[in-house]
Amino acid sequence: MIIAAAVIALGAVAGMHADGTERGGRWREMAWPFPRDGWPAGRAFRCVAGGCDGAELYIRAKRGFCNCDTGVADDDEVDRVTDIDLISPRFAPVAPGHAVDFAAMQGRIRHYDLDMPDGTRHAAAGLALSRRCDLLVAVAQGAGEANAVQRAALVFLETEEMKQWMAATLDGR
Amino acid sequence: MFRCVLTAAGLVLFACSTAAYAQKQTIGAPPEASNMKLVGTNDLQARSAYQPTIHHQGDRWIAYIGHHGGTDDVPAPVNPMTGQAEPNGTSIVDVTDPARPKYLRHLPGQEGKYESGGAQMVRVCDGRALPKGDPSAVYMLRTFGSEAHEIWNVTDPASPVLITRIAGLKDTHKSWWECDTGIAFLVSGAPDWRTRRMTQVYDLSDPAHPQKIRDFGLPGQEPGSTGAVPTELHGPISTGPTGNRVYFGYGTNKGGILQIVDREKLLSGPKEPTPDNLRFPEIARMPMSAFNGAHTTFPMLDMPVAEFAEDKDGKTRDIVMIVDEAILNECGEARQMVWFADVTTETRPMMISSYTVPEGSGQFCQRGGRFGSHSSNESMAPVYYKKMAFIAFFNAGVRALDIRDPYHPKEVGYFIPAITVATDKRCIPVEGGERCKVAIQTNNVETDDRGYIYIVDRANTGLHILELTGPARAAAGLPKN
Repeated sequence: MIIAAAVIALGAVAGMHADGTERGGRWREMAWPFPRDGWPAGRAFRCVAGGCDGAELYIRAKRGFCNCDTGVADDDEVDRVTDIDLISPRFAPVAPGHAVDFAAMQGRIRHYDLDMPDGTRHAAAGLALSRRCDLLVAVAQGAGEANAVQRAALVFLETEEMKQWMAATLDGR
Repeated sequence: MFRCVLTAAGLVLFACSTAAYAQKQTIGAPPEASNMKLVGTNDLQARSAYQPTIHHQGDRWIAYIGHHGGTDDVPAPVNPMTGQAEPNGTSIVDVTDPARPKYLRHLPGQEGKYESGGAQMVRVCDGRALPKGDPSAVYMLRTFGSEAHEIWNVTDPASPVLITRIAGLKDTHKSWWECDTGIAFLVSGAPDWRTRRMTQVYDLSDPAHPQKIRDFGLPGQEPGSTGAVPTELHGPISTGPTGNRVYFGYGTNKGGILQIVDREKLLSGPKEPTPDNLRFPEIARMPMSAFNGAHTTFPMLDMPVAEFAEDKDGKTRDIVMIVDEAILNECGEARQMVWFADVTTETRPMMISSYTVPEGSGQFCQRGGRFGSHSSNESMAPVYYKKMAFIAFFNAGVRALDIRDPYHPKEVGYFIPAITVATDKRCIPVEGGERCKVAIQTNNVETDDRGYIYIVDRANTGLHILELTGPARAAAGLPKN
């Protein structure tokens, strides 16, 4: 229920309808594409059909976060904690972000323009959610329009399989 | 033969029971110790403790101890001296007689739980040392939760008087205050910066009239910048005008950075927070593994190293001891430990050695709570400086290291306090709920000029005052006790 409400809210934020199931796209898991860093690798997916073709989604838990009570407090926090910088160090937010409730967690989502290493420009949506002292971060990015990429990614993230995985990874399982 | 089998079986049984004992602390069990001895304790009103600072004040020794916010179960413990529930703040304890510490005053801090409240950090300077201080006064600089820094007149430590507040911040942390100049490197969260923690340099030589000098941080953290945001500051340590260096530690348990800064250039250089101006005073930067942070960066310059005594060059070395902070309970992350960097050639700092408590020596990953390093003593008093370091290691207590050869640091003692009824639980998520254990969480350690060692507990067990014994005492050059 909360997730559905979040999707509706996010669709409204993005100026889109919330009939996401048709627009959720089909995502195929791929190898985590980033070098090892301080956080364990997460899961990565590429959209192979359904209108978000070519977009990619990266999601992982970041356990151990000092803002246990305040959570993801502002947009700067989203800039810092999402993995947007792993995709390209040259990113710029396009607008202030928005508070979100998603999968029983609170956080923020923000859109970015990315200058990719190959010279192209991509759109991205960064999502940071907190659960007590832990974070769940996700970035969806692609050559398409940011709202469409975001909406497809959120619909995918609310599937039962992904919800179970998110809960488990935040538990350290 | 039969006797051999019985002996072997007995040994196995003994080993198993020892391991089982070591995995869990129980109320009433004695502390675990080697070459360190308990002198005195105080329960600190069962408040979660962060930073202790010990100050020689006239003919007394006073411990000022910063606290985290309260817990979910007890957001504001009752102060038995007032009968009131008070948000955790600063405990002020007379430790002149370390065997009988006397609790003088609890000074409430910001409301809030855990890292979000309290008054975690504290530094103390004599007015006679500060260039424009009242020579008869003693001043305490403390954080007020995440929102402010405060200076109190603690000339009478039982009756502190607020003098100054620097407010409007989004976070604070472990600051450094030079008592001989009054220059303070305040770990702040300026609202317009892109990081929670950066440096605000202040002239606090007149504690009643703070003068801001500048904001400072890593390029990419300043207002208006775009792209990746470098790791946030944890705390600096300055060597003052004589050493002319400030060692900044960024990161706690991830992506640590040791930054070596020219103090004079920092104070007198261009102050507008542009990337060029932020780079101007930097001498070198040593990135650490993504697995480890730089919680404490403790300089020990011009250390004679016995092993190099016959060498034509490099007989003495400039060393920075870097301590990471463990964050997650029950070993839920990469090991956080202690590192020694040789910064003699300042532009080419190099990690030379490390130290950790062997996990298997106490099955610390199963004991509960955090296991790993957090902080070191920061006193530069001659009694231990460049000879002995003390490391707070959460559920492994405090560890005494012989660091006279920083290329080969050696543990020579330890003390793990016993838990009490006040010791708070530490939990981890498990499927369908959480599982909790109770263990000591030695958070910070400090020493005084007399050689006493003060450790405080994050899990509400209070203050323990220790002294070295046996070979550890001899290694420090202290007389036999």
